[in-house]
Amino acid sequence: MTLRRSISFLAGLAMALGAGWVAFPRVIYRSRPQPVNFSHKIHAEKAGAKCEDCHSFRDDGTFAGIPTLDKCAGCHAAPMGTTAAEKSFIDEYVTPNREPQWSAYAGQPENVSFSHAAHVKRAQMTCESCHGNTGSSDTLRPYQVDRISGYSHDIWKTPNMPHGMKMADCVACHRQKGLEHSCLDCHK
Amino acid sequence: MTSANKQIRAARYGMTIDVDRCNGCGACMVACSVENNVPPAHEGATDRKGLTWIRVYKVDNGEEYPNRRTAFVPVMCQHCGNETPCVHVCPQQAVDVDPSTGVVGEMPQRCLGCRYCMAACPYHARYFNWWDPAWPAGMEKTLNPGVTPRMRGVVEKCNLCHGRWHAAKERAAAEGKPDTEPVDYLPACAEACPTGAIHFGDLNDSASAAAKEAAEPESFRLLEKLNTQPKIYYRSKKEWVREIAAAPRPGTGKENTRG
Amino acid sequence: MNTTRREVLMFAGGSAVGVLFTPAPWRLITDSALWSENWPGIPAPGHGEIRTRYTNCSLCTAGCAVRARCVGDQPVQLSGVSGHPLTHGALCPFGLAGHHLPYLPSRVKQGPAKEAADAVANGIAKCGAGECVATLDLQPARTASWTYRRAMAALKNGRYVAPSGDSSVAVDLSQARTVLSFGVPVLDGWGTPGNVNTARGGFRLIQIEAVESRTATMADQWLRIRPGSEDALAQALAGTAPIATAADATGLATSEIVALIAQLEHDGPTLVLGSSRLASSGRTVIARREAPVPAEWQKAAPVTALASLPDRSVRVLLIDESAQGEYLPWHTIEKKLVSDNPVIVAFAWSREGYARHANFVLPVGVYPEVAGDIPSAIDSVAATFRIAAPLVSPPADMVKPEQFVAAAAGLATGDTLRERADAIHKAARGSLFTYADAKSQALKDVTADAFWKALNAGACWIDAPDDKAPVAQLAAAGTESRPAEQADLPLAVVVSRELTPGSPILSKLYQESNLRLAPNRVALNPACGLEDGAQAVFETLLGKCHVGVTLDAGVPAGVVQVSGSPAVLDLCAAGVRAKVVRV
Repeated sequence: MTLRRSISFLAGLAMALGAGWVAFPRVIYRSRPQPVNFSHKIHAEKAGAKCEDCHSFRDDGTFAGIPTLDKCAGCHAAPMGTTAAEKSFIDEYVTPNREPQWSAYAGQPENVSFSHAAHVKRAQMTCESCHGNTGSSDTLRPYQVDRISGYSHDIWKTPNMPHGMKMADCVACHRQKGLEHSCLDCHK
Repeated sequence: MTSANKQIRAARYGMTIDVDRCNGCGACMVACSVENNVPPAHEGATDRKGLTWIRVYKVDNGEEYPNRRTAFVPVMCQHCGNETPCVHVCPQQAVDVDPSTGVVGEMPQRCLGCRYCMAACPYHARYFNWWDPAWPAGMEKTLNPGVTPRMRGVVEKCNLCHGRWHAAKERAAAEGKPDTEPVDYLPACAEACPTGAIHFGDLNDSASAAAKEAAEPESFRLLEKLNTQPKIYYRSKKEWVREIAAAPRPGTGKENTRG
Repeated sequence: MNTTRREVLMFAGGSAVGVLFTPAPWRLITDSALWSENWPGIPAPGHGEIRTRYTNCSLCTAGCAVRARCVGDQPVQLSGVSGHPLTHGALCPFGLAGHHLPYLPSRVKQGPAKEAADAVANGIAKCGAGECVATLDLQPARTASWTYRRAMAALKNGRYVAPSGDSSVAVDLSQARTVLSFGVPVLDGWGTPGNVNTARGGFRLIQIEAVESRTATMADQWLRIRPGSEDALAQALAGTAPIATAADATGLATSEIVALIAQLEHDGPTLVLGSSRLASSGRTVIARREAPVPAEWQKAAPVTALASLPDRSVRVLLIDESAQGEYLPWHTIEKKLVSDNPVIVAFAWSREGYARHANFVLPVGVYPEVAGDIPSAIDSVAATFRIAAPLVSPPADMVKPEQFVAAAAGLATGDTLRERADAIHKAARGSLFTYADAKSQALKDVTADAFWKALNAGACWIDAPDDKAPVAQLAAAGTESRPAEQADLPLAVVVSRELTPGSPILSKLYQESNLRLAPNRVALNPACGLEDGAQAVFETLLGKCHVGVTLDAGVPAGVVQVSGSPAVLDLCAAGVRAKVVRV
């Protein structure tokens, strides 16, 4: 083979490797910011809030997930600080009584039945073991969603979510703890 | 899957169905469809192509009036305990037997739609989604969040209301009960039956009504000779009904073979 | 230097090899699989807090107590309330899917309310001598029914019409040792299912019916007679006609009829359903005092049976089809209307009933959108008052029939349900059973406001037992005569009603199994020569319509069984004969 052809080959190879390793991960995700620039850190420090104060369990054991507007409006009916983010939150959401459309980083597909009660109350797991450092972050990172499958980027292992939330990640822990009975344990 | 599992008190969820009490109203069929997000029939659906996770068959003793006797037999997945036929044949491992509950669980998400399990099931208790599910506009709001709707091309069947089982397990976890104990819940058909013909319970728990009734002489199972060891027991004082239970398919009259 | 094709190919080859060493193709395969699993065409259920709410089902007069599991405020599943003293936690297939009704495709969404009101006003003004304005109430004895009666009384020539006249009798199943039913679906939709099932062990049921209905299969004895010969048999049992005549007409053996007479004599008290020729014995049928009514309402029109209205006398007809009741064939109503441009207004939520015949169809809310009270069931010994508390909001632009009729008659009304509840509370008798805590308390221990609040959160008021209630008799709808033979219409028609229209999920019972006869189908004996599922035309002297054929060995030869579709019922009359011809 001539030199030119080898160079063409290597050029193609390099381009593909670059596209696949560098460009593709950027392009495959669509990014959108969260509706409000909420700071977990401020609420933990200044308001003395723990995770379960806002992300609470209901009486029947179900998990309330991301809090609804009434939880925020309970304190933020009037501005409590001086940030612009809080002011725009009150103007855009509290006053017109509009629910912010949060994007859940840890959203699972429709066919998964995940019980927070079993993991938090029975297994005594900490929030950080699955949700990473979201609870101590100062801002909310943008929500990145896979363009084709519609799954959140955090399902795969990321620096923010070192644990990952794909089925294999859950199964690894369940297997270790001897809690692998049947598929319907986690599927609905 | 069970080699390293924790010691649990295994349940065997089963039912006793009193055929003498069943009046063929179909409440169980409707309650099941509402609980499990089973869509209404497509235009082309017939009784061979429909989705009826529980189906009440009208059976008779083959005689003419005045010796004609008719009964109604609700049939759902029998949750075979021995060499479960559908589990054996599935190329995808889309169905498994839960050792902690005895429930034969179907995962439509994993199914590739070969329908081998439908051929293997001796009770005709598995149903195929010939069409995408479609509800009239607005009726999707009434879907139950505890159960995933399925797409076309996959097989589905009764899972003894796993959505309710999940909710009961979650409640038990929230109340601090240990996970080694089976939970107490009621599937939709047993709850809905207006005559109280369906009793659900843990067959391993000798104190439960279902276990006690299953041990009585009037109780029998369908196609006992196949030794599938199903967990659904039927009860009747009528001899001709017990004979029907040994027949290959409940129902008399001409089979609708045109589909 | 020119780039040759070979270099381009080498470049492409290099890219292909390189791409395989990147995550891209593997990730794209995974993503496509994931996308296919979450197929966009599949609706996703809503998520939210699960709440429990209570109401009463207003689809029939059983008024079964309902526990609704809701996601937020949207009911996603209904079940009964166990421990209820009357309904005992039972809910029928129609009630179990009641929360689907607001989304039925046949829903009437809008109607010309203003034009209808104007036409009604004109019609009222034009009423001549011998003509009247009639309100036809298909589910009488509701609080709304009282408003109609008061409104008709306020008009010079108003008539309040019910399918079968005034009836305030109740059946006490616990008193019966034998129940003789002439085709009444005792075990399949009559009375209050929970109550019938609870009382079942206490009586012997003899079902007299031409086809093998569900009640016939479950009865202790089924006597198959020729269609239309119920009256002949009843006369023989009452002793007013010879047994041989009855044997001839019904096809039963003389010995069977003799044995039946002996049973009725020795195994009483006997409850007779479906025939007024034969009296019920003992205290199986008693007169029941109605739930108290405000004193001001007593100025109300009497209840007129449809059959006793003079023919061609109704100039303005207002049909309240908002509450499910018996569908009366249109010809029985049409003959009461004047021949020159009567005004017919139907308050309907579905296009399938009287909407097909009315000039003006006004949309109404449907269960579980609207509050209305449910009349006492026939097998409730004491009067009851329960409200079908709304679980969801009705669409915009719905008409309230009560207000429309009251306005047309110039009658001022307020919150009639509240007024009724207050009148009941004032009478201070009976008990209140609340569903949320399954507790019963005496009404006199509850304040009026608490009573009203409880009724709207799911509760039932039950009147105090009245031991002095006099014995009464049931009036049967109309005695069917044996259909006369007709060469070109060879089949005798038997009607078995289903609650229509219902949720499309009922296809489980009609289409995806052979459990029930679908509303748009007729059932024939397998020897009829048609195949199951064949398309055919059902024809009577009153007209024809398209139906599907279901084969059922429980239907004898020479008989066609039809279900409850209004289009088919319009073609049926007492003693009608039909033919079914393949299309």
